[in-house]
Amino acid sequence: MSSEDTSARRRVAKGPGCSGGFMSGSDYDTDPLQYDDHKDGHSKLRPPIGGRVSSGRLHKPYPTPPTSISDFIHQNLEHLPPAIYTLLSCWTRFHKIGLADIVVWDEAHFGKFGSHYLKREFYFDVHPPLGKMLVAFAGLLSGYDGNFEFKSGEKYPDTVPYVAMRVMMATFGVALVPLGWYTAVELGLSPWACHLVALMVLCDVAWLCISRFILLDSMLLFFTFTTVFFLTKFHNQQYQSFSFDWWLWLALTGISIGCVTSVKWVGLFVTAVVGIYTIEDLWDKFGDLRMSTRNQLRHWGARILCLILLPILVYMTFFKLHFLILNHTGPGDAQMSSLFQAHLVGNDFWRNPLEVAYGSKITLKNMGWGGGLLHSHVQTYPSGSTQQQVTCYHYKDDNNHWLVLPRWNGPAYNPNEELRFVKNGDVIRLQHAPTTRSLHSHPIPAPITKLNYEVSCYGNSTVGDVQDHWVIEVVDDIRQGKKESLDRIRSLTTRARLRHEVLGCYLSAANKVLPQWGFKQIEVSCVKENDPDDIHTYWNVESHWNDRLPAGDVKHYKSAFLRDFWHLNVAMMTSNNALVPDPDKDDILASHPTDWPWLRLGLRMCGWGDNQPKYYLLGTPLVWWGGTLSLIVFVALLGIYLVRWQRRYVDMDATGWAHFLYVGKVAFYGWFLHYAPFFIMGRVTYLHHYLPTLYFSVLMSAHVMDHCIFSARWKEKTKRILFGVTAFAIVANFWWFRGMAWGIEGPVNEYWGLQWRKVGFFSVVMEACDDNWSAIRLSF
Amino acid sequence: MSAGVRARRPATPPLGLSNVTPSAHRYPPSLSRKDDLDADARRQAASKGYGPGHKGHAPGGLDITSGEWKLLVIVLIVATLVRLFRISHPPSVVFDEVHFGKFAGRYIKTRYFVDVHPPLAKLLITAAAFLFGFDGDFDFKDIGKEFVNVPYVAMRMVPATLGVATIPLAYLTLRALDCKASTALLASLFLTFENGLVTQSRHILLDSPLVFFTALTTFVFVGFSNEDRHRPFSEQWWTWLVLTGLSLGAVVSCKWVGLFTIATVGVCTILRLWLLLGDSRVSLKTWSRHFFARALCLIAIPILFYMTMFEIHFMLLGSSGDGDAFMSSEFRQTLGHGMPDTYADVAIGSQITIRHVNTQGGYLHSHLHNYPGGSGQQQITLYPHRDENNLWLVLNATVENYPQYDYEHQPIEYITHGSRIKLRHIVTDKALHSHDVRPPVSDVDFQNEVSGYGLTGFTGDLNDDWVVEIHKGDRNDKESSKRLKTLRTHFKLRHLMTGCYLFSHTVKLPEWAFDQQEVTCNKQAVKDNSLWYIETASKHPQLPPNAERVNYRIPGFLSKFWELQKVMWTTNSKLTDRHVYDSRPWSWPFLRRGINFWVKDHKQIYLIGNPFVWWSSTASVMTYILVRGFLILRAKRGYRDFENTKLVKYDMLCGFLFTGYALHYIPFFLMSRQLFLHHYFPALYFAILLSSAVFDFATSTLRPRIRLQVACVLIIVAVLTFDKFSPLAYGSPWTRSKCNKATWVKTWDFAW
Repeated sequence: MSSEDTSARRRVAKGPGCSGGFMSGSDYDTDPLQYDDHKDGHSKLRPPIGGRVSSGRLHKPYPTPPTSISDFIHQNLEHLPPAIYTLLSCWTRFHKIGLADIVVWDEAHFGKFGSHYLKREFYFDVHPPLGKMLVAFAGLLSGYDGNFEFKSGEKYPDTVPYVAMRVMMATFGVALVPLGWYTAVELGLSPWACHLVALMVLCDVAWLCISRFILLDSMLLFFTFTTVFFLTKFHNQQYQSFSFDWWLWLALTGISIGCVTSVKWVGLFVTAVVGIYTIEDLWDKFGDLRMSTRNQLRHWGARILCLILLPILVYMTFFKLHFLILNHTGPGDAQMSSLFQAHLVGNDFWRNPLEVAYGSKITLKNMGWGGGLLHSHVQTYPSGSTQQQVTCYHYKDDNNHWLVLPRWNGPAYNPNEELRFVKNGDVIRLQHAPTTRSLHSHPIPAPITKLNYEVSCYGNSTVGDVQDHWVIEVVDDIRQGKKESLDRIRSLTTRARLRHEVLGCYLSAANKVLPQWGFKQIEVSCVKENDPDDIHTYWNVESHWNDRLPAGDVKHYKSAFLRDFWHLNVAMMTSNNALVPDPDKDDILASHPTDWPWLRLGLRMCGWGDNQPKYYLLGTPLVWWGGTLSLIVFVALLGIYLVRWQRRYVDMDATGWAHFLYVGKVAFYGWFLHYAPFFIMGRVTYLHHYLPTLYFSVLMSAHVMDHCIFSARWKEKTKRILFGVTAFAIVANFWWFRGMAWGIEGPVNEYWGLQWRKVGFFSVVMEACDDNWSAIRLSF
Repeated sequence: MSAGVRARRPATPPLGLSNVTPSAHRYPPSLSRKDDLDADARRQAASKGYGPGHKGHAPGGLDITSGEWKLLVIVLIVATLVRLFRISHPPSVVFDEVHFGKFAGRYIKTRYFVDVHPPLAKLLITAAAFLFGFDGDFDFKDIGKEFVNVPYVAMRMVPATLGVATIPLAYLTLRALDCKASTALLASLFLTFENGLVTQSRHILLDSPLVFFTALTTFVFVGFSNEDRHRPFSEQWWTWLVLTGLSLGAVVSCKWVGLFTIATVGVCTILRLWLLLGDSRVSLKTWSRHFFARALCLIAIPILFYMTMFEIHFMLLGSSGDGDAFMSSEFRQTLGHGMPDTYADVAIGSQITIRHVNTQGGYLHSHLHNYPGGSGQQQITLYPHRDENNLWLVLNATVENYPQYDYEHQPIEYITHGSRIKLRHIVTDKALHSHDVRPPVSDVDFQNEVSGYGLTGFTGDLNDDWVVEIHKGDRNDKESSKRLKTLRTHFKLRHLMTGCYLFSHTVKLPEWAFDQQEVTCNKQAVKDNSLWYIETASKHPQLPPNAERVNYRIPGFLSKFWELQKVMWTTNSKLTDRHVYDSRPWSWPFLRRGINFWVKDHKQIYLIGNPFVWWSSTASVMTYILVRGFLILRAKRGYRDFENTKLVKYDMLCGFLFTGYALHYIPFFLMSRQLFLHHYFPALYFAILLSSAVFDFATSTLRPRIRLQVACVLIIVAVLTFDKFSPLAYGSPWTRSKCNKATWVKTWDFAW
């Protein structure tokens, strides 16, 4: 705080003239002084008198070009500390990185997905592709051929260059440290606080541990850090709008958003931080009466271009690459539309005869997101009609085969007569090929969706009734367009609905999972409401066999990128939401969001055999607790300042207040937006979900320390001592827990039990804090 | 809205979201009355014929002339006629009378029941039923069942009377909010002729009391805010404040939706306190008096009131009924049929019954029926009632030939943490057994089947062995943490061979097991569902006859109260099944669909609002949002609209009503339980007041006479619309063509 604080820290007595202006508690009470000099009826606010009310790093004039080496060194001295920190970071990240020669934890997933890229097989995963493509790229660079299965806990064979791959992943982790430093600099924190940020990023064991394996988290963290960094860079350009640098940092922010969301959807949270910042910024600009409309629009346009269109473009580019690379059939086919599958090398859908005729054997795929194939099996419903079950099933199986036959009360199908094609509006009967029963519905409530009718299989090849009749209603054809021009049903491309002739309901499969008696397959029911846009009632013919028809041609089955892109994203979303914890199962790896801020438990990353290195994902307690504490302190401080402001005390000048709020907002919104959504999510959560969140609490602890100590009116000596103590504590704390990231060798019992008990005050703190931890300690 | 500059102090703003006016805290108000009025108020005063020397302020800010009181009486009579017209029809059960009529019967019979709503409204209905001689025998089983021996008219009169009383409250609220008499009249008649409110208040349902108490709270809170601007801490001020507190307690004791009313009052109070804090003429001491007075009356009093209602509830329901199954064993001990005392000590050779801690599934049970699938061995279930088949004999698994082990003469052997035991089902002589077979319903890889296995004389195998793990004992009984004691020790049973824990959850087995609860052995068991305790133990032969006996501890009021709250909460959040007439919140403001209450003999009662009133209230909410949004944009661009006193006045008025509306509506979007149109009624009340406020604003420049004429036209339209749909409210005969014609919106499904 500057020297004028002494005069500012007093109670401001207001003149009687002002009280009238203080009429409303809403946001519209702009500076009360403004009321005294109104000019005319439609008067607008007088623009604030020049002089910058700013936050962020103070702008320094560019130095003159260096003329000598000493000049150069002198000018770049500020980059020395981050360079040292980066070297240290290299050491911590790469130290003994190949110690565990087995597949650790989720390497089993991400290593495997990397292999799929190298083998170009289509797979399905809940995360977007960028991270896994980078894993594959690392594999490619280090000479991995993609033929390892990555079974959890298995020993790496000599053909897998796992150390090189881990080093490349860890490089992203190394970069976190300089990014942390420069972000702090750009936020305008004091040098002390910058050191603190760098130290905390360097010394957190959880960040260290997660960066050392073939996982996505190091990349996610890296792009989260870059997004914040670019945002702060951009903020510091706010008085040079539309300059080259301004455009550069804005565009880089956008690209970084695109990358972070392409690694994991958690990246949307940091996108939200940028979004809130931008909205507030534009709102302020909207109130700036000096700015011309043209400039207003340019600002809006620039934001829309760089922060919305650019990220979407980046995100879609990675998906395009994803589709281009993965052009062979693989384990993930079933999640995609039939039409997409037809294009994968090794798939024979394109051989399907083009148009469906009576007597054809087909499989029907639901076009809802993640929809499966219409399926039936000999097992019956335990309740309702107790007839044979009809479900949706994701895997290829003879029980998915249906014969298209004419209605009961019409001429029967005769394989020798002239071929009849199925037309829009035809009444057909679908006969389940293995059991010869017909697809049937009746006014009995479906097992799960009680408002719908049950669908079952009934009768046999000669017995049946009118409730086996279904009317084909074509919606459209992906290749041929609207239904008006359509006549016949084409395999793969025609989207059709099946209406029950008697009940008028529509065959639907809406992702409701049957209980165990239905083998956890998807419920099929008949929905009464006719909603023509309900995609869960859309079906297409996936496989089609008819000996009397010629094979199809691949040129009839083109698939559009946008459609596949959208389909895949919705499928990812659906499976992500389906990762719901079983309430009966005590998953020792999972944790609840409330456990994270106080680090109530960690995550065991591999087996605990005596002879293998053991890794345990647990943060450096001081960093985690300090971060959480600083968030509370910040909110309390803000509350106190606001109450005092309301009582007309002036604690800070405008610049100080703007700085306090700016850094506080970035850190608090960041933390909150990365934390609160986990409470709403139904899916199972793990400790590593908190790792991006932690960054914001680290920034907050530096900010709070900066505000209360380093930038406050303390003696220089006190500041030094306090900094020294804090820095030492962080490093010592890290050193204490380093083994969890570097690998604990030998039997845990002796090693850890001894060590942890030796530390007097610390284990006391831990025991007092929580019993879960001591439980883990017992189990060591 | 041109901001014609009127550089003048703002008008005395209306209440609720009121703010600090310059004259608010002068003791006593020293300005002469004339100076205290701005132009609007002066014109208004003149229009009422007051002279400038009119007295300071009326109680609660209600300036009502005797003419208006007469008008109010007429409105009241109209409302009574509309609400009570043929209230005895139909003489059969309508819609949720199934529940609330039944609950009244339960209260009279003192049989315990559990409902998701707090008791106040049900108690009122019960009181009426009791006074008129209802004996509680009628069971209100199905919609359409004819009443026999039920004073159903008296019971229906409770919601109906409260429904009538809502109407003058609306009038007075708007008057206290400084609206004109014609506006208040419009609002009260809109409410009178709102078909939905009429239909809802004519039957034994809780929504009419809820709306009444919401209206009452709003009124007294507005009155309090008026007092607050004039003379804080006066006797009147305290009266209004205490009334607000009581009324808040009442609204939340009708339905939990009342919490939204509390939120509304809370938001306004916090804002008011914040503004007071900014008033440098209010010392911190005065401010803290303001703060604590509100904390006392708006937090403590409602809580006390709410708890009192439950105290009455517990006092009335003294005997067991169909609500027992929801409650813990301790709780049930207070509902008649208590359990006799049982022996405290358990040892090898005791005959015991074992209960599951976390669910109300009951006792570990087995019976002479086998699993149809799986191993095909004897079923093990949880059974909620006392029965021979719940008895188990504890045996020591570590000795050879254990069934012949002579526990009667060997020294007594208590069961401690780590004891290896076998449990023998006494009636069928089978051992509690588990093995690597999937259970019948929870067929997942981490669950194993639990069965009864063995024969008389056959010693069984190692799969019958269970290890006792004591989780916790009772705090007052040190011994119970060290060894198993009846009722006091919670323990887990680990299967020796597979390491899984004996487990149960609220999953029912199919008919072949008589819908009893499933018991499994879970390898990754969540702790809560794997805890068990011993409820009864027979006398062990080694124990003296006067050995220590124990029983459940009788819970005090607070623990009963708290338990019931939790049960209500879980029951409420489990109401997620679809109902044929349920609806989602977004559809309410547009009145997409009603609820079918009752159909018989070609007559129908169907809950549907008065479309004119309903849609105009929605339109005024939208208008408010749009205009306010526009004003915010303008303010950001530097326009000084908010210096206009009239605008400020209406901003405060509409802002208050809109806050009420939003807080009673938006939270429903977060609820996943089944919702119905009638959940919108409290919000509708605020929306109708808001539409009147909009009317007041729109006609503020008109002469009083013309304003009245406009109001009359609106009222007539409302009455005509009401008339059109009134057969659905009264269940009176209707022609098919009229019915079809009334289907204005395709989704109104009353015509069939």
